[in-house]
Amino acid sequence: MTSDTATRARVLVVDDAATVRLYHNSLLSEAGFEVSEAANGLEAVEASLSAEFDLYVVDVNMPKMNGYTCVETLRSETVGTAAPVVMISTEDRPGDADRAYQAGANLYLVKPVAGDRLVRVATMLTAGREEAA
Amino acid sequence: MNPLLSQFLAEANDLLASVDEGLLQLERVPGDPELVNEVFRAAHTFKGSSGLFDFPELTRLTHAAEDLLDQVRGGRLALDSGMTDDLLAAFDLIRGWLAHVTAHERLPASAGNDAAGLITRLRAPLGGEEAGPTSASAGPARVISAAPQWLAWFDAEWLTETAGWLATTASTLRFVWYTPDTDCFFRAEDPLHLIRQVPALDKLNVVQPQTWPTPEEYDEYACLLSFAVATRAAVGELEYLFRYVPDQIEIVELDADAITRHLSGEPPLHVEEPVTAAFVPMIDSELAADARAVLHAAHRALTMEGVVTEGTRLRSVRHAVTAAAGALGVPVALAEAGPAELIEAVVRLAGEAAPAPVPAAVAVEPVERREERADERRADDPGGQVGTRVLKVDQEKVDRLMELVGELNVAKNGLTFLADAAEEEFGSRVLSRRIKDQYAGLHRIAEELQAAVMDVRMLPLSVAFGRFPRLVRDLSRRLGKTIELVTEGEDTMADKDVIEALGDPLVHLVRNSLDHGIEPSDERVAAGKAPAARLTLAAVADGDAVIVEVSDDGRGVDPERVKRKAYEKGLISEEELETLSDSEAVDLVFRPGFSTADQVSDLSGRGVGMDAVRASVEKLGGAVTMKSKFGQGTYTRLRLPLSMAVTQVMVVSVSGQRFGIPVDLVVETVRVPVAEMGRVLHQDVVMMRGEVVPVIDLARVLDMPWAPGEGEDRRILVVSVNGQRIGLLVEAFHREVDVILKPMEGLLAYADEFSGTALLGDGLVLLVLNMKEVLGLAARVA
Repeated sequence: MTSDTATRARVLVVDDAATVRLYHNSLLSEAGFEVSEAANGLEAVEASLSAEFDLYVVDVNMPKMNGYTCVETLRSETVGTAAPVVMISTEDRPGDADRAYQAGANLYLVKPVAGDRLVRVATMLTAGREEAA
Repeated sequence: MNPLLSQFLAEANDLLASVDEGLLQLERVPGDPELVNEVFRAAHTFKGSSGLFDFPELTRLTHAAEDLLDQVRGGRLALDSGMTDDLLAAFDLIRGWLAHVTAHERLPASAGNDAAGLITRLRAPLGGEEAGPTSASAGPARVISAAPQWLAWFDAEWLTETAGWLATTASTLRFVWYTPDTDCFFRAEDPLHLIRQVPALDKLNVVQPQTWPTPEEYDEYACLLSFAVATRAAVGELEYLFRYVPDQIEIVELDADAITRHLSGEPPLHVEEPVTAAFVPMIDSELAADARAVLHAAHRALTMEGVVTEGTRLRSVRHAVTAAAGALGVPVALAEAGPAELIEAVVRLAGEAAPAPVPAAVAVEPVERREERADERRADDPGGQVGTRVLKVDQEKVDRLMELVGELNVAKNGLTFLADAAEEEFGSRVLSRRIKDQYAGLHRIAEELQAAVMDVRMLPLSVAFGRFPRLVRDLSRRLGKTIELVTEGEDTMADKDVIEALGDPLVHLVRNSLDHGIEPSDERVAAGKAPAARLTLAAVADGDAVIVEVSDDGRGVDPERVKRKAYEKGLISEEELETLSDSEAVDLVFRPGFSTADQVSDLSGRGVGMDAVRASVEKLGGAVTMKSKFGQGTYTRLRLPLSMAVTQVMVVSVSGQRFGIPVDLVVETVRVPVAEMGRVLHQDVVMMRGEVVPVIDLARVLDMPWAPGEGEDRRILVVSVNGQRIGLLVEAFHREVDVILKPMEGLLAYADEFSGTALLGDGLVLLVLNMKEVLGLAARVA
């Protein structure tokens, strides 16, 4: 029952919309995650180089570097992040999810994501993070 | 307002501005892929954020606009000006809605009707209305089929009415059942406060316990009430609001059908066990569904050609599958599994998980986890911000800082009075000097602080210029004129108050140019000009001032016509009609009561003329001049102080009362022997370097009982007003001080001879004179 940083799962919320970041950040923070934010793919990749995250929650359509490229970069050998990635987008056309999986995401959700669902998914995907590391 | 909504509104402002700007630029550079993309992304981001709230019309309208932009972006449609008009109209409508949301936290009732026509028009180029409701934007379907038993707390009549309303509207309604823990007060929870914050509240029922405890057993620190709430707020908002008490609330969304069925006596959901029992199994099945979604994703990734082979990707899929298996209660060991083994495991897990109900013990686990985490949050840290380097600060906070700087200045000025007192009253010159040294140090820091705060308040002129591309576009279309707008020096910075105050005069000047100055194309061609007129807005910094110029190459001002008009209106005498030079004639347009348009046009003529422009610019401490060459164009120049926050005034006194005069106006201070004073036509004058300067007795103008002593040198403050030198006879000169000018309020607001008040370091209030009015007063007194 301690709030020791080492035991809390770290999440990077990546979205260009500040409102969405605030929404995701507060939901996950309330649920006990340690949350950081990035406003586009490039910032996310930069953040991943200087800190380790147990989960990435990534928007698709962003300036500078979009979500797909961001996840591909995270999965590339140079960055080499195996941490789970949930992509969240407003797009719900056939093939959108596959593009996310192709990039290396582990789950594709359509916006807006209900708060309990986001927390549930985040909890599930970070449950076994020690083994995965 | 909840922070999520206010964040949304702030962000929406920025996004809508970039949509507008982008659309207008696109008209100039049609099809520029970079611009299209920019506009699309802003609209897209806006739609994404709007989906967090229950603004169905907003999301639907944005969605239609976004779809149109998406087609343009994909090169399947070319943006024509009709589409641009529709898009601009859509975002204008949205802007209006957001103003309503800011005030009422909901969309106006007419939103659906207002949007309907626009949505049809926006969708027309795409081949008509999208089939069915917009599934992508409306979010997951959350309407459940049966009403919970606590719906009985809402009275039947209201429910009937509501069901009828729900059947006809696009809005949706959520019902919240909130049962605070009996000991919630000991955990600093405040149920009443929470309920008060429920946005878009439609109905509230406070539910009392069925039996109250006996007076002996009654514990006033136990919460025994429950709340049944109906609201139009979105689930996301509600979850955000109740985030500290997720286990004490239940949220359901009901449609008209569900309510009607409830009213007709259908057995409610979860009859015998109330809230909590129903809560846990729901989580179970949802968790299982999420786990299966992760498995499905893994399967897709594993079976798509060349996606997952080895390394990072393989490890990540392995990790996700392990996590999903754990959540399903079927732990698996996949430590070294390759792609083939993983596919096998995923298929096996999906098969096992689908039909079998989830074992209860395992499924409850995440709930405990949540509670455990809920405790951790007490010591939470706000979470790191990655890559944010620009702070958005509430304007009020900056204003507060400026106020404090002002107070610091006042306190600082107090030291100089103290130094004087040390020397004069206590006879200690040493102490006086040391206080002055202290003052000097403090003064430097205060000045730097002030500069730093003022720097924060500085905004680029582009903020003031920003509205003109749109304005010029709309007006020129209505007038049937072709106009090219050129802006220069948008990066020039000025204080935000100056920028804000500049808005109206600029709009007036630009409208004047468009309406009166610029000719229709055929007239221009006949005059040998290019058919497209050119309107230039330019800004340039000049020391402590910023100069803004509005110029056009239109027909210019006809000095003869202006003079005739002014004469007809009785503004000038017959003699002036003959003698006024052309440039003096042009200046007549600033006279109150003058308007050159023969007819009042609906564009610029609104009963206020150029005199209003001059008045508002002078109120800012600036000046406005106009030059015009008949047939070639008009050029108006506004000169404004960079900042209005701090004014330097010279303090003088009459009859013991001190007054401030803006230092900008002061030319010099002189002491003149009585013998050198002269008199011309009942007007006291003094000769200065060969120039006759009229001298006004300030005491007389302000009706103060004071007259200079016999034979005593006259103290005269020479000021320059409207290019004319005038002497003010005063009793004594004092120092110059920096003050924050506060406008006159209340009864004194009509005392035009004062431009404001300021607090001095010794606590006295200084009245600052409005020299123009004082001179007018002097003319009346004389």
